[in-house]
Amino acid sequence: MTSLIRDPLLWILLVVLVAAVSAVMRARRTNMALRRTKADLEAGLTRAHGELGQAQVRVTALNTQHQHDLADVRADAESATKAVLKSAMGTLQSLSEEQQVLLDTLLKKYGDDTEVLADLMSVDHTGSQFGRRAKGISVLCGGWLGRRQGAATVFDVARSAQGRIKDFDRVGVHTQVNVSIAGRAVEPIAVVLAELLDNATNYSAPGTPVEVNIQTVPTGVCFIVDDAGLGMDQETKDRAHLLLSGDGTVDITSLGDPPHFGFAVCGMLASRYGFAVSVGSVSPYGGVRAVIRVPESLLAAGGPAPVADAQDTTDPEPAPQRLAPVPVGPSHVVGTTPGGLPKRRRRQGSPIAVVPAPEAADGGPEAEPDGEVTASRLGAFARGTQLGRITNTTEGPDHQ
Amino acid sequence: MTAPGEEASVTSDFVRSYVITGGRSLPAADDLALHTLVTLAPGRTAPLGAGPEVRAIWELCAGGYLSVAEVAGHLELPVGVARLLLTDLFEQGHLLRRAEPPRAQNVDRAILEKVLHGLHSFIG
Repeated sequence: MTSLIRDPLLWILLVVLVAAVSAVMRARRTNMALRRTKADLEAGLTRAHGELGQAQVRVTALNTQHQHDLADVRADAESATKAVLKSAMGTLQSLSEEQQVLLDTLLKKYGDDTEVLADLMSVDHTGSQFGRRAKGISVLCGGWLGRRQGAATVFDVARSAQGRIKDFDRVGVHTQVNVSIAGRAVEPIAVVLAELLDNATNYSAPGTPVEVNIQTVPTGVCFIVDDAGLGMDQETKDRAHLLLSGDGTVDITSLGDPPHFGFAVCGMLASRYGFAVSVGSVSPYGGVRAVIRVPESLLAAGGPAPVADAQDTTDPEPAPQRLAPVPVGPSHVVGTTPGGLPKRRRRQGSPIAVVPAPEAADGGPEAEPDGEVTASRLGAFARGTQLGRITNTTEGPDHQ
Repeated sequence: MTAPGEEASVTSDFVRSYVITGGRSLPAADDLALHTLVTLAPGRTAPLGAGPEVRAIWELCAGGYLSVAEVAGHLELPVGVARLLLTDLFEQGHLLRRAEPPRAQNVDRAILEKVLHGLHSFIG
């Protein structure tokens, strides 16, 4: 026994056993603690998952609301911007119109002075371009163009449009068509055509021609604009198509910087007035062909205007007061007065007899009563002098 | 669809004068003075593709002599613009022109007095 007690191995075994038991106990405690922690954590995780789901739902809801609010704010800002721009452009529009009316007067007043006239014309040209810009922006902001009194021939519409762009001298207008556009559509079509011409001249080489051809089609009349530029890339075509076929609403802040108003203005006016604008086909010169198709409903009633050939039309207006035709040659001047004025024969071959209309001169063989002849001559004389006085006062004092 | 602006009427000239001239430089005023008389040369037909202004001149001048100022007045165009169109027609041989009659010179006062006396005695 003593030997057993003295056996160090037993003691060692005992110590090891005690150590093992304590280690197992400790491990068990740790295990238990870990299990608790794990259970806690799992519960926490589930809770967190739940909260995350809620948060996601909330975020989605907030996002939707945010998008909605943003769209509202954008729409508000857009309509506020449009309202301000519309009113500002309206002022510019009327100022520009006022200036053009003033220039009409000035051009006639100083019409006889070549240099002044040429200068006034260049002022008029820049003014017209300015007016077109103001009109375009105004239209995009929901403004109106103003209305022309009376119909205008397609040729005049094309020339009016031509006058509103920078390089108007590169544009050629060709038409055999004698149709008029109804008054309410005259300005819109001129503005749209001007925008198309502006594009055509801007996107083709300087000096190359831009042609406007006007043709009748079964459903109305077409303005065809051809340029000799490089054509449009697909992106521009798509953009143009989108703007031109639009429903009449345009986001003016999406037009780029500097903004490209042209197609947007065209699309807006086309949808508002009911004509069609298309671009994208290739012109015979390799550039872009743009077409405005005006339906019959926008053409002036009453058929073609009486212009065509001078030979086969009857002038509906009273013939202007004019000097009678004279035989060419020196024979009509009989001599000179001591004052140096040419002396002429009277009546029959009378070279400068003022007559109301040439038809009256060779009206017929039956002679009018003397009194009436005298009266008509006196009347003609009075009208003539009056005409002379009017001419003098309106043409300025330097040619009295 | 009626806004106040829609009904506002636009009264400025629809076709601007620089488009009618095609941006060409204008002839000097001496070429065709205001009182120069023009008429259509006999037996001419209007050039093909003539614009409305040229056709209007054609109709105006077909009947007899008309002064440059009158043509411009009837066309409602500045005189310079009418002058350019008339110069074109003249150069193409469509128009004949006649210089304005020379201005009256100052007549001797004595002659005027004689005329006055003559008239007095004539009328009584």
